[in-house]
Amino acid sequence: MTDTIVAARGLTKNFQEGRHEVRALRGIDLSVDSGEFLALVGPSGSGKTTFLNLVGALDRPTSGDLIVLGRDIGRLSKGARADMRLRELGFVFQAFNLVPVLTALENVEFVLELQGVGRERRQRAMGVLDELGLAELADRRPNELSGGQQQRVAVARAVAARPRLVLADEPTANLDGENAEVLMHLMRDLRDRHGMTFIFSTHDARVVAHAVRVVTLMDGRVARDEEKPEEAPHAIVPGAGRLPAASGA
Amino acid sequence: MVSTRYAVRSVGRNVRRTILSVVGIGVGCALAVFMESMNRGRDELFARAAASSGIGHVRVVPRGWRERRDVRARLADWQHDRDVARSTPGVASTTIRSRTQALVAMGTHVVPVELVGVDPATEPSTFRFVREITHGRYLRPGEHGTVVLGQSIADRLRAGLDDDILATAVGPRGSIESAMLRVVGIVATGSEDADLAVCQVAIEDVTKLTGLKGAGEVVVMAGDWRAADAIRDALTQRLTGGDEAMTWGELAPEFKGHNEQDKAAARFVRAIILLIVLLGVASAQLAAVLERRREFAVLSALGMRAGTMVVLVLQEAAALGLAGAVVALAIALPVVWQFARTGLDLRSAYGSSNFTFSGAFMEPVFYGDFGVWIVPWVVALAVGATMLASLYPAWFAARTDPAVALRVAQ
Repeated sequence: MTDTIVAARGLTKNFQEGRHEVRALRGIDLSVDSGEFLALVGPSGSGKTTFLNLVGALDRPTSGDLIVLGRDIGRLSKGARADMRLRELGFVFQAFNLVPVLTALENVEFVLELQGVGRERRQRAMGVLDELGLAELADRRPNELSGGQQQRVAVARAVAARPRLVLADEPTANLDGENAEVLMHLMRDLRDRHGMTFIFSTHDARVVAHAVRVVTLMDGRVARDEEKPEEAPHAIVPGAGRLPAASGA
Repeated sequence: MVSTRYAVRSVGRNVRRTILSVVGIGVGCALAVFMESMNRGRDELFARAAASSGIGHVRVVPRGWRERRDVRARLADWQHDRDVARSTPGVASTTIRSRTQALVAMGTHVVPVELVGVDPATEPSTFRFVREITHGRYLRPGEHGTVVLGQSIADRLRAGLDDDILATAVGPRGSIESAMLRVVGIVATGSEDADLAVCQVAIEDVTKLTGLKGAGEVVVMAGDWRAADAIRDALTQRLTGGDEAMTWGELAPEFKGHNEQDKAAARFVRAIILLIVLLGVASAQLAAVLERRREFAVLSALGMRAGTMVVLVLQEAAALGLAGAVVALAIALPVVWQFARTGLDLRSAYGSSNFTFSGAFMEPVFYGDFGVWIVPWVVALAVGATMLASLYPAWFAARTDPAVALRVAQ
């Protein structure tokens, strides 16, 4: 049984850029169900990142309704949105955005610490890295990792707290084809194993091929919404297992 | 805690900026602690100058003396007061005195003086100059009709050792009383003002001249000058007959006031130094935060609350401040130690090796205070000031809008 994770109705978002007002979203109607693996595609400026920011509770809509995980984003306070991001959402960024002074393990552990997880957070963080085949890189800092490795650590950080919804903005844009392929398999595998919902934006046709549902945005509106038959997933990350059980969060 | 490691390591991100900030904090705090050391040394200098110039650390005075400063007033029960003072914790020594205005004359030369009747057995423990008689000797216990003069008085009288001088004072019921006094000792303090304050006789001689029995004051020397207030308070509770205790600062308010004025000026200069350091640190910290705007946006996107972000930046500031404190101590400890040992010689500034202020003989060399207080003082100042300077950058980081910052970064 599936439930609706994201429900957008007549969603608009305007913001100022210098003297000009940009109408980034012009009325989005979209529902996303639990466990979906959804790709947002469209040319630059079509509103993909703005939509992800709104769904990720980073921003508030200008008008329209946006219900994420049962909460009306437009009515949440700044603190409540921060709390929602911390406990229920995961983010993967195009530029990885790992904290450069922390090791891979510490980057993952940091999120758990922010959540208030106690002594077991190190073990849990290590478990996540282990599942994603990154255990041997745990003590390395981001500048000692390749782009693909950094993005996998970023995924580990995003899923460490076992969020229900993971948002990824152009996660493969800075990766070569092989690493992009590995990352997509990894995300798909996490979704299949743990029932997490993934929404990611991309320009890359090879990445789109992994999506189960593809939503095309054009000029701030949904231009096309198509579902594809699911292929059988296959793990390609050695040593992949199950995420450690969440506790104490 | 990962957040603490994050804060500490972040200090080392831009090594050049961190070094400059740490050196700035270190030099600023070193200057501040040096000035504080000299201020504390100045406190001790003034207390010592006042006490050893005859004022004492604490003095028991008659009722009403505080308002009228009448030298002919006498204590209600000087023996009780002296016994109480001697038994008070922290008191090193005591002596009694009685005073009167008098004219001393030899031949055709007359000098107005304050004739001070003393107990020759205990007076040297409280008045440094009578321990250093330049010519002759000091008064002996049980001896009467002798006087010790300051060099300036002796010069004006053209008097020398073994000369007899005539002392005239107002006696009982307004009569004029005189007594012949033999000069047995002359004190040359090096300061004309200080010399003019030295005209000591046995307390019985003053009683005989004035007809006023007893002592007019009990002078109390403390083992530690800092205990003056506590000794005054303890005495106040035990004195009887309206006699009261006053500290050297209350006895010579203009003297204490001058010290406070000097200290306030030093504090003002120190505040300016710290302000400049604070602004420099604030600027560097703001630059560090601005450079990491994207990182703060990511942390915010991950759910870090504004308060947590403020704490994070302040932790970085604390780490920076600690490093600054280490530098400050490395600079300040040897310098402060040197000035505490050899002192700051003001002879060239005052143009004399001896000078007085408000009747107190000031030493021309004053020493800084060196003690364990320096370490916590410097650490608290460096860390506190750096955290204070980082409040605005921390607030700036905390209000980073993740959506805007990430959009701009892309």
